[in-house]
Amino acid sequence: MNINGAKVAVIDLNSGNLLSLQTAIQAAGGQLTTVQQPSADLFTECDVLVMPGQGRFAYVMQQIDDSGWRTFLLEWVRNGKRLVGICVGMQVLFEGSEEDPEAVGLGLFKGHCKKLSHPKTPMVGWAKLQSYKLSMQDQFAYFVNSYAIAECPFGTAKVNYGGSFCAAVQRGNLYGFQFHPEKSGQFGRELIKYVCQ
Amino acid sequence: MYVNDTTGNSKPAYQSDLCARIIPCLDVANGRVVKGTNFKQLLDMGDPVELAKMYELQGADELVFLDIKASVDGQQSALDMVNQVARHLSIPFAVGGGIKSLEDVHKFFHAGADKVTLNTMAVEQPELINQIANQYGSQSIVVAVDVNQEDDGSLAIYTHGGSQRATVNYHQWLAELVDRGAGEVLLTAMHKDGTGSGFDTQLLAQFGAEFPVQVIASGGANGPEDFLAAIEAGADAVLAAGIFHRGEYTVGQIKSYLIKHNIKIRNPGC
Repeated sequence: MNINGAKVAVIDLNSGNLLSLQTAIQAAGGQLTTVQQPSADLFTECDVLVMPGQGRFAYVMQQIDDSGWRTFLLEWVRNGKRLVGICVGMQVLFEGSEEDPEAVGLGLFKGHCKKLSHPKTPMVGWAKLQSYKLSMQDQFAYFVNSYAIAECPFGTAKVNYGGSFCAAVQRGNLYGFQFHPEKSGQFGRELIKYVCQ
Repeated sequence: MYVNDTTGNSKPAYQSDLCARIIPCLDVANGRVVKGTNFKQLLDMGDPVELAKMYELQGADELVFLDIKASVDGQQSALDMVNQVARHLSIPFAVGGGIKSLEDVHKFFHAGADKVTLNTMAVEQPELINQIANQYGSQSIVVAVDVNQEDDGSLAIYTHGGSQRATVNYHQWLAELVDRGAGEVLLTAMHKDGTGSGFDTQLLAQFGAEFPVQVIASGGANGPEDFLAAIEAGADAVLAAGIFHRGEYTVGQIKSYLIKHNIKIRNPGC
């Protein structure tokens, strides 16, 4: 597939500003749309769904449920279509979070988010990724989070902050990034290009 | 926490891969970048978007735009400038100045800012900190604290671009803003700002011991050794303006120096 042809839809969950992500996807050559609601057309009209999320776990899950994304996303992933979750958008791919124990995540990965065990939270700033993937190995990524997935068999990158946590996960076409690729300089731009092709 | 352990003898209290950040600060007035000494004499130093891109290429980890005139004369910061910067940068940036209400905060985030920096409004309406933290998360709110060591040695908080002394006590104020949900503190030692006499390392060392929040040291960068001293004293990030704007050092040169001195620093490698 030609990257210039990739049709990328950003899910707008009314959770933080999308401008940087949108700009980065466009810069990567993706044909960008922004969607609030799921629709069956997406299956034919879209190659990649990107789900950014900011704020509390429960808020993001609430937005997902209120707009009817839950069933759609499970179906999307079941069909092997590409989904990229960013920050809290990655966290909601899991079963739940210590931040809001009553909120039920999408459960696409097993596990729960835990509070970072470092006295200074949120973690704000750049950290070097430990990864076996050449696309991420020893690259610096920009993080802003207070919660994270400590361990996951599908983890593709790790960092330490009071303990080790998953910076990235991947299972087939399902990707999650705890950091913000759209804010991670040239490395982040390359990563967005990679997942949007 | 940013000093690499080369001896293997000392074990840090908490593991962390986090790098100390270098943050050029662009003081904006009327859409141009300015920098004064002790906030007084403003001197035009260029176009914000051009400078922002240049600093990203130099290896800046983040940028801060402060509209220092806005809090003096009540002028709104140019939202389209923020928007242009957001479209051209791929590193985070914060904006401050002219923020009067939660409505203004929405506008800045909508224009593409990653964080807002509150100073005067944080002191006058501290509940704004809670509101922003609740809606956008603690990571989106930086409280700028302008502190001056008065002639009697006491620490006083100033607002309105450093022109008005606030009644609030330094230690109480920091405890309060952390409690209300500020994600970072931009600590400007006014008695050091623009004087080129280094950062107030004593203040920074004390800060880390007292408050569980990231602290960005500001005011007083004269050379690479000042950055090193601030980080060794406990700063999570160092913010500087004139030293970069005047072209005395590039961000890359400062970073090379810090890396050579075993500080964990992001090396964008490009």
